[in-house]
Amino acid sequence: MRLGCAAVALALTVAAARADDPAAPHFVDATAASGLAASYDGEWQYMVGGGVAAFDCAHDGKPSVLIAGGEGAAKFFRNVSRPGAEPKFELQPSGLELKSVVGAYPIDIDGDGEVDLVVLRVGEVDLMRGLGNCRFENANAAWGFVSQDAWWTAFSATFEKGERWPTLAFGSYVDRSKDQPWGTCTQNLIYRPARDNGEPQRRFSAPLPLAPSFCPLSMLFTDWNRSGTPSLRVSNDREYYEGGQEQMWRVAPGEPPRLYTEAEGWKYLRVWGMGIASYDLSGSGYPDYFLTSMADQHLMRVERPQGGPPTRPAFNEIAFKHGVTAHRPYAGGDLRPSTGWHAQFEDVANSGLVDLFIAKGNVSEMKDFAARDPNNLLMQRADGTFVEMGDKAGIVSFEQARGAALADFSLSGALDILVVNRNAPARFWRNDTPALGHWLGLQAMQDGPNRDAVGGWIEVKLGDRVQRRELTVGGGHASGQLTWVHFGLGTARQAEARVIWPDGTADAWRPVAADGFYRMRRGAGPARWTPPP
Amino acid sequence: MLRSVHASRACVWLALAFAAFGAGARADESARPSPEAVLDARYRLVLDLVRHTATYTPPVASRAFAYLGVIGYEATASGRQDMATLAGQLHDLKTLPQREPGAYDEALALDAALSSATRRFFDNTGPTGQRAMKAMDAKFSPVVAAGLPADVVARSQAYGRALTAAVSDWADGDGRNEIANMGFPMEYKLKDGPEHWRPTSDIALQQKPLLPDWGDNRTFATPMGETCDLPPPHSFSTSADSDFYRDAKEVDDISLHMTAEQKAIARFWSDDPMLSTTPPGHWIQLAIQASDKLDLPVDKRVDLMARLGVATADSFITCWRAKFQYDLVRPLTYIRAHIDPDFTPLIITPPFPEYPSAHSVQSGAAVAVLTRFFGENFAYDDASHVADGLPPRHFASFAAAAQEAAMSRLYGGIHFRWAAEQGLVQGRCVGRYANALKTRK
Repeated sequence: MRLGCAAVALALTVAAARADDPAAPHFVDATAASGLAASYDGEWQYMVGGGVAAFDCAHDGKPSVLIAGGEGAAKFFRNVSRPGAEPKFELQPSGLELKSVVGAYPIDIDGDGEVDLVVLRVGEVDLMRGLGNCRFENANAAWGFVSQDAWWTAFSATFEKGERWPTLAFGSYVDRSKDQPWGTCTQNLIYRPARDNGEPQRRFSAPLPLAPSFCPLSMLFTDWNRSGTPSLRVSNDREYYEGGQEQMWRVAPGEPPRLYTEAEGWKYLRVWGMGIASYDLSGSGYPDYFLTSMADQHLMRVERPQGGPPTRPAFNEIAFKHGVTAHRPYAGGDLRPSTGWHAQFEDVANSGLVDLFIAKGNVSEMKDFAARDPNNLLMQRADGTFVEMGDKAGIVSFEQARGAALADFSLSGALDILVVNRNAPARFWRNDTPALGHWLGLQAMQDGPNRDAVGGWIEVKLGDRVQRRELTVGGGHASGQLTWVHFGLGTARQAEARVIWPDGTADAWRPVAADGFYRMRRGAGPARWTPPP
Repeated sequence: MLRSVHASRACVWLALAFAAFGAGARADESARPSPEAVLDARYRLVLDLVRHTATYTPPVASRAFAYLGVIGYEATASGRQDMATLAGQLHDLKTLPQREPGAYDEALALDAALSSATRRFFDNTGPTGQRAMKAMDAKFSPVVAAGLPADVVARSQAYGRALTAAVSDWADGDGRNEIANMGFPMEYKLKDGPEHWRPTSDIALQQKPLLPDWGDNRTFATPMGETCDLPPPHSFSTSADSDFYRDAKEVDDISLHMTAEQKAIARFWSDDPMLSTTPPGHWIQLAIQASDKLDLPVDKRVDLMARLGVATADSFITCWRAKFQYDLVRPLTYIRAHIDPDFTPLIITPPFPEYPSAHSVQSGAAVAVLTRFFGENFAYDDASHVADGLPPRHFASFAAAAQEAAMSRLYGGIHFRWAAEQGLVQGRCVGRYANALKTRK
């Protein structure tokens, strides 16, 4: 495109500043200082994926990371940061140094208090059991998990009612043996807990197909209507399916999964589904779903008749209204449409309003889409709309970003950003915002199999306003986290917090002082946790 | 039925090709595909690429089908004494390369021409499309060339490529090689007045209309300028006794009382870009099906594909000129404002003005060509969308199919009846110019 035209058009893409725009956060590229040196490498079979898992495997509260390597081996970096200081990581052997890794999600499968990892690969899925002290071993055989050969690209997990073992859902992409793989979406699978003579077992049953399968790049068990039974939302890549669309499976205990239908209210939506992020933006108690795609990104909100509870799985597009279409680069001069991957709602300024990060990057020399496609950092205004501040925040880069993790890596109360890039080094941006608001880091813990309360909610109340986060495993783009749940408090020095546990039991609201970490044990309320020096 | 028949011929040759190379066997001349099979296989890939290349909206797809059709036609016609070149008949196409003396293989010349043409017109496709093109060239083309003398291979392939290069130069002259921003202008001023088009979705890119100056394109066979013009649409009015209101009320009433058959028809002909082969691709598929059914020889097939490509491409240009001349509001906008705020069309309203219906125009043009080749009573089952979960539909003739395609836009809630009816009229007019091309000496 001619420069003059580009300049005019770029001006059109940059929204005028508004008086109610939030102050811009500030990040510093600390990749070299962090010690993170990794890259997601590979050609066609690695054009998608490139995830990162962030999890505490050392019981020190600090999220370490596993970064997918594609054709190369995945790399585990142990978090050796001193609390509140510069984030530091060390490459360490962990047993996770697998090849062909697309992405990974942390979850405590066997309820032993040691985080396990579900590793998606081109080929097989590996369930990696945590042995303690950040060591892992393959537990497929021990847990009766028989993986099939496929291009695994999506994952989510839940603990179904009454079960002592999780249910795992996997999404696979195309038949990679085909020269023309369009229309060859391979089978998605769901593994439920095994039972012998009706008795629950600590292993998985043979998988059930989630048919039809439409080449998902993200899936998420989520309780969209607060029924207590999460459904499986699946975001599918329209590039490859025939007759496909976005999907949501009703996964009721003891019943085969079944798709929500048009007759039930499900609305036909076809996008280049690449990632899912969820958050209750409206404060209604019901999560909204951000779906990354090519060109326009999508934000879906469930219909609530007369403002009451949703009565059917009907979602409407609200991205345009909220200013999160993020359809074109906002910096770099490339005006072609954008390509979104991992997305995550987090409050990076601790303002009390959650923001939206989107990892961006061309699929692979797609000429009709931006080659210089910076990641987005969309900051939320008080009126619920968002404004792009990636450039002001200092996170503009032009690699092919894929997975990401926004987390408090140094236990400082500020969220840093780790982005995995395809065929380029991962980047780490340290949050250096000078005037951060107050914050909380919360973690729900219970005894028994579902130790991290997957399927529950953590809520924080400031006055009459409640922020809430559903505790999920899945979504994003090939990237998952099991670490502190972060809440910004703005100027408030105190808030109330509670957990709504997966069985629906709600703890009482308890006061919590700002700027601290709290472990919220079932029945015990929040207990302040101080990082070891 | 279309997909199975169409796929079968191409698939047989592809399977043979891949098996031969996979086994490391020496390519066998007896396994060489015919020119007809080459045409089928190459168009099969093109149809996939149309579906999976982001810029390939229906107008853009029609353009590619036109140039590919001309290339396929000339690759064959240049080797025969009884076929006339289209050079001198299509606008600005003055000359094309002549064959050098010596022996040629017609299948190989056609394969080389279409291979290079596919790369030329789908240069912008994504990584999977690029991979598919490479794989086909690596596995299929050697089978086409198997057992031929080296000089014949070199001469045939060189001619095919030279032909594509020449047509490519000609294509450069229409100024439409690059489709920026998926066809949506960065700047566009909406016309004032409630009768004019307004964005109909909350997709950010679609706040401006698709390809607003496509009507200025160079046509292929249709005389440039005011040809096949239509009467204006009904005068805009919000009065309940006006024709315009009645037209809109009909759309709303249909949506409220839609029959299962109307719903099936609307979805069958939806032919959404990037989720189907697009409307022009749909007619290309039907042309291949009919050709296979009658086992047409290659000279007839390339003639058909050239005329069909030209007809649909010209129909989009002609239609687009009218669309932006009248710039008429879509039913969705009008009905929600004046009749039924809850009106929701069954299918997605395309992001450009209403009148006339482009699907109707290009269907009218396509059917003019198809009827010329197959007659007025060619009955068939259309299984184009079986893989997408839509059952086949039976048609007594191509004209009946075009009529249904036009009405599908009314049932889908995206056009008024007048736009569908007049679209067919305009399409038939455009089709006559494609049919008038001289292909026999």
